[in-house]
Amino acid sequence: MKNTYIPIPMKVDKIVTEDPAKTLRTYDLAFVKDADLEQFQYLPGQFCEMSLLGMGESPFGIASSPTEEGFLRFTVNRTGLVTNEIHNLREGDMVGIRGPLGNWYPVEDFKGENVVIVGGGFAFTTLRSLLVYLLAHREDYGEIICIYGARNPDLFIYKDELGTWLKRTDMKLHLTIDNEADGWEHHTGFVPAVTEQIAPSAEKAWVVVCGPPVMIKYTLPVLEKLKFPDARIITSLERRMKCGIGKCGRCNIGSQYVCIDGPVFSLAQLKTIPDAL
Amino acid sequence: MIKIEKSEFGTFIRDLSAEYKLFAPVGEGRQSAFREVSSADQMNTSIQMTQNSPKTVFLPQTEVLFEFNGDDIQSGEKAAKPMFFWGVRSCDARGMNLLDKVMGQSKQRPDDPAFQDPYWKARFDNAVILTLACHEPASTCFCHWTGGNPFSKEAGDLWAVETETAYLIEPLSEKGKDFVKTLSGYHTASDKDKQEIKTLKKQAESCLRPAVDAKILKEKLPKIWDDPLWDEVSAKCVNCSACAFICPTCYCFDIQDEGKKDKGKRFRTWDCCMFPIFTKEASGHNPRSLARERVRQRVMHKFNYFWETYGESLCTGCGRCIRVCPVNLDIRDVAKQLLEAASAV
Repeated sequence: MKNTYIPIPMKVDKIVTEDPAKTLRTYDLAFVKDADLEQFQYLPGQFCEMSLLGMGESPFGIASSPTEEGFLRFTVNRTGLVTNEIHNLREGDMVGIRGPLGNWYPVEDFKGENVVIVGGGFAFTTLRSLLVYLLAHREDYGEIICIYGARNPDLFIYKDELGTWLKRTDMKLHLTIDNEADGWEHHTGFVPAVTEQIAPSAEKAWVVVCGPPVMIKYTLPVLEKLKFPDARIITSLERRMKCGIGKCGRCNIGSQYVCIDGPVFSLAQLKTIPDAL
Repeated sequence: MIKIEKSEFGTFIRDLSAEYKLFAPVGEGRQSAFREVSSADQMNTSIQMTQNSPKTVFLPQTEVLFEFNGDDIQSGEKAAKPMFFWGVRSCDARGMNLLDKVMGQSKQRPDDPAFQDPYWKARFDNAVILTLACHEPASTCFCHWTGGNPFSKEAGDLWAVETETAYLIEPLSEKGKDFVKTLSGYHTASDKDKQEIKTLKKQAESCLRPAVDAKILKEKLPKIWDDPLWDEVSAKCVNCSACAFICPTCYCFDIQDEGKKDKGKRFRTWDCCMFPIFTKEASGHNPRSLARERVRQRVMHKFNYFWETYGESLCTGCGRCIRVCPVNLDIRDVAKQLLEAASAV
């Protein structure tokens, strides 16, 4: 009988520090057992519980795409007990992973249509997974527009990749920071305002929005103004979690568990849950 | 229907405890619980309701999920000797079925064994539960609000009722039928016995107080989500969690690690949505930072949210919360107040 409370062993393969203040680090984890690698099938939007034996666990959205084989990528913000301990890891250290958990972005529904991705700060993790996935299946999707905002240039994650995406002609990436900065060549302004300026068309389009609660709160009305139907506005919720499999009750909102009925929800679904937004 | 005379009961229990790990109501008052017994005189056969529900056995207060030594992980799963539970009231039997819907099964991933709790299944799937009818529901009993009845046969593997001279037992499930096949040498119930059951049922039902239909409550609760009544209702609650711990259907748990990086264990313990830091995130943000939000969460979960997903009330009306609450918060009064407020909307 499968025991999903027990983590599988993974090895820390590569660590990238994303910002000068060292609050954000990206970890590439390699599978230790071939059987685990084979069985791990996931889609963009899903998450894992990363386990440090003796310390505890934290949930992280999977930043790698299933089209990138052999490793899992997570970006960790140093905030509490477990994340501080994760930031002490060295390449070669072992961690545990439980997953893939949760549901995923409806990439099948997106097929043949345009996808608008709106992200803020280090919530871009699962959006990276989605973008890489869409680009790997480019012919299956229409226009891809990505709007990514951070407080300042230091706080973008995956900076190298952002550089290559800016150069691509089969997608349009818009970057924005909160306030003017020297040498900044892209947009300035909060994500909701910049989204309104760019005004992506809602015609045959889906929009996926992930970011801090305040960004989402002000972006949703902009999207509604742009005539995106509630069922086509997709977001990912976060709540404190423990079991990750819909049993312990901690992430319960309304009749849903964020860890298993979500974390991906449409705005239409969220409007039926009074506790959600 | 099998008839076990009270003079045969001692032997019956002794034989049962040889075949199974036998659990029955033991002890009095606040110490009463389902504990392992090997003879009938260890049991409390006159108690209406144990302070602690059978949940203490199926979902123990603390449980080791696994132990780790370096990278080696040893699961805490234990192969259990089959258990037999004598004397479970129907509210508790229904409660264990409801817990099974969350723990042993998965509504969201019904066909994936990865989403079934192996620790729970090892116990629940291997247990035979005998539901014992209630002659005299307590003043705090309200199973009939939630679709139950003192003589309910809705849950359990076997159903039994105590008459003046005997216990009458009938199977409810396949497991129950298999169990009954192993019994030999006992009489069968007579027509007179069956008449007596009808009389006892009527007497039990006459003890029940006027009911509120939990289904109506479920429909109406969303209307008063923002009602200031929640401030009033939650005002005296001190978020102590006694109600959740004693409740046969509360299942929230915490997972913690103990030990050091190279040697220790990961375990789970009962937790409660009413604790102020239950939903507090590492950033400091707390979606349910107010007491009124937490009390509302518990009431909504019991009487609405669970119903939305599973089609029935999570509260089975056992009334233990009413008895243990240190500030005498009576969920029945709360339900009536909420219903009144909702009907006014």
